[in-house]
Amino acid sequence: MNWLQDTVYYIGAFGLVFIGLFVMLVKRNLIKVIIGLSILETGVNLFLVSVGYISRGTAPIFSNPLVETRTRVDPVPQALVLTAIVIGVAVLALALSLAIRLYQHYGTLDLSKIREQKW
Amino acid sequence: MVNPVVLVAVPLGLAFALPLIGLVSKRMVKYIPVAAFAFNLVVVLRHIPGVLEKPVVVHIGGFVPPFGINLYVGPVGILFAALITIAGLLVSVYSLVYIREGAKEKYHILFLLLLTGAMGVVLTGDIFNLFVFFEVLCISSYALVAYLGDKGGIESAIKYLIQGSVGSSLLLIGIGLLYGQFGTLNMADLAREIQSASPVSVFVPMALMVTGLGVEAAIFPLNAWLPDAHSSAPSSISAVLSGIAIEVGCYAVVRILFTLFGVTDLLMFFVFLGVTTLLIGEMCAFSQSNIKRMLAYSSIGQIGLIVFAFALASSYGVSGGLFQMISHTLGKALLFLAAGYMIYRTGSMQISSFQGMGGKMPLTALAFTIGAFSIVGLPPFIGFPSKFLIIRAALAKEAILFTVLIGLILLGTVIEGAYFFRVIQVIYFKKGSEKPERREAPVAALIPMFIFAALILIIGIYPGLVSRVLGPAANELLNKMDYIRSVLG
Amino acid sequence: MRSIVSLVALAVIGAGIAVSLDEIPFGAVKSRVGGHYVDLGREQTGASNIVTAVVVNYRGFDTLGEVTVLFVAAMGLGAVLATRRNKQKPDIESASLVLYTGCRFLFPLILLFGAYIFINGHLTPGGGFQGGAVVASAFVLVYLGCRGKKINETGSKLVESAGGLIFILVGFAGLAVGGHYFLSNYLPRGELNTLFSAGVIPIIYIAIGLKVGSELAGVIDRLVEEST
Repeated sequence: MNWLQDTVYYIGAFGLVFIGLFVMLVKRNLIKVIIGLSILETGVNLFLVSVGYISRGTAPIFSNPLVETRTRVDPVPQALVLTAIVIGVAVLALALSLAIRLYQHYGTLDLSKIREQKW
Repeated sequence: MVNPVVLVAVPLGLAFALPLIGLVSKRMVKYIPVAAFAFNLVVVLRHIPGVLEKPVVVHIGGFVPPFGINLYVGPVGILFAALITIAGLLVSVYSLVYIREGAKEKYHILFLLLLTGAMGVVLTGDIFNLFVFFEVLCISSYALVAYLGDKGGIESAIKYLIQGSVGSSLLLIGIGLLYGQFGTLNMADLAREIQSASPVSVFVPMALMVTGLGVEAAIFPLNAWLPDAHSSAPSSISAVLSGIAIEVGCYAVVRILFTLFGVTDLLMFFVFLGVTTLLIGEMCAFSQSNIKRMLAYSSIGQIGLIVFAFALASSYGVSGGLFQMISHTLGKALLFLAAGYMIYRTGSMQISSFQGMGGKMPLTALAFTIGAFSIVGLPPFIGFPSKFLIIRAALAKEAILFTVLIGLILLGTVIEGAYFFRVIQVIYFKKGSEKPERREAPVAALIPMFIFAALILIIGIYPGLVSRVLGPAANELLNKMDYIRSVLG
Repeated sequence: MRSIVSLVALAVIGAGIAVSLDEIPFGAVKSRVGGHYVDLGREQTGASNIVTAVVVNYRGFDTLGEVTVLFVAAMGLGAVLATRRNKQKPDIESASLVLYTGCRFLFPLILLFGAYIFINGHLTPGGGFQGGAVVASAFVLVYLGCRGKKINETGSKLVESAGGLIFILVGFAGLAVGGHYFLSNYLPRGELNTLFSAGVIPIIYIAIGLKVGSELAGVIDRLVEEST
């Protein structure tokens, strides 16, 4: 059980990653694919944050003088995730704007019907 | 000596300032990218002699690596920087007249940022920094593919976006795994640590990162997005996508494999992958009747050849791959620029509508012909020494297998020649029924085309001009101990 | 069919990742640079929020790239949605008086909260991006609650560009002044845990906060325009 207690974070993060990947590969509705992309990116961010955790550590912020002596977790993955979240939001915004225009052109969001570019 | 960080920072500053400039004067906006690339070109050219002696390592923020981000401007970096700057300058001059509709101000911002992202990727020495600038490159290209707003463009853009984002997420997972295992993000530091790690433990991060970057590098089977995206984008963007974006993706794959993971023996998997990509690309190009799709499939074929050259992992092989990249950038950009105006005049992307273009647009048709001959690999154009170097590298392996592969590559070249000559035949030798009236492309579009053509001719006749850089560049990629030493001391 | 192939492919990738995760024990100290930042961050940068110190100072170049990515996405969204397809204006049901007044009342409070977050980025959890997102949410509230009110497009463009330019100019000033490094922290560190400390970090974060806030507000504005 101790093993599970440690790896549950990785299992959760990669669970989200694989759910996101599965949705993107299998679903045909464009909005569902975009939601799958968002889930995938959330899973990756969760994984990055859990890489940085140090046992019994607290936030790497020194504004409260009462918690001086505790260990701090690694600040670098948190900085990476900050950047990754912003990049994810940017891609999502662009994808949704493309979805809006695509719906206006084709009248449907079904990816199997949006196949104008042929061989 | 100017700090190389201005190669990235000045275009970024100009891009941020562009909306402000647009509020003041709408006409000045399109000249800003030209100014940015002209400035960059001066900085790059002044750095070339120094960098060839000793690579320039820039510590951003003053922190010593691995505690800060550093830029690494070695021979490879300066070679790519020169390529990006020259291509950017010439295509931005072309865009002065080619872009007539749409939100023009946003086009120029996105164009400037696409090339700045590419510059950041080739100059950085930190793996997460590479990811961030890679995202700048990718997202600008998603937006630019959709720029014209037509049915095909939006569809190609969304499919490109979906595939590209999955690739980026895989890349990020790989970076996370590497950080968790080795505790650092600096490429030189990682390279040093990975040397003493077991190959099994680093295989998965390596596979994830190569797959993630391979989507942008258009390596088979990750290149399903390329024919749609490159044919639906405006022609100036297709030139930059085919000429710069996929080459920079390929650079990232090579940098990861050679410098970071130290895989410097023969990569048989990539050798076969390269030849497969080459043959599939050329065969698909042969069956196209849409000129831009044909050029896009030709790009796939050329990337296959470049991957094959790098996978040989010898000094000749890597030099050949780099030389082929230069020749592809110059040739394919020229082809897309010329095709852009021919499409505009005839209003159609079908090859059959180019009948008699030799008479109607003689200069543009000549430019197209030069580009086509160079891509096929005919002397005296640059395509010839680059392909020759690759074949020589493969022959140096002295195995029957490689002779067979060279045969397949030559078969690919023959197919390439066939479909390009078919287009040239339509342009020159099938006269239209009516008398052709000469309506040439505007001067601002002809000048970049002819500078590309001149470079193709000059470097083709004097390949020594670039081989002074190719030798040290190949050495930098293959010799990771020197890389580590110059960054970490 | 497609589901089965996808499941098999994902299982293979999953097995590979599981093997690789063995090397990353949860909760162990893995980083060679993380400890350095925690121990020396306060004296080297003057910020008490070490994550901010890493984001803005040690890895400031990444943050510059991140700001650029957001800018690219906003420009791309503007370029894709540039041509308005439907020209008719359907009549918008105007909001009730309670809703309208409530939103007008809350708007400056939320803006203040967002500004507090990005101004104090170097002291407490938070920073430019977080504060900017809160500022943008204030605008979303106005769009949802007070129908018909729009932001000033020119003003938002100005703030957005100014924010980005300030970041780059501060970086360039580092080249000229101080230790001649781009993005170096050349202003005095100040006393720990006070507002005017940590050199250039508050300046950069304020610029980023304003930029992100106006950028996301502009994106929301564009999307709302698309739906009416």
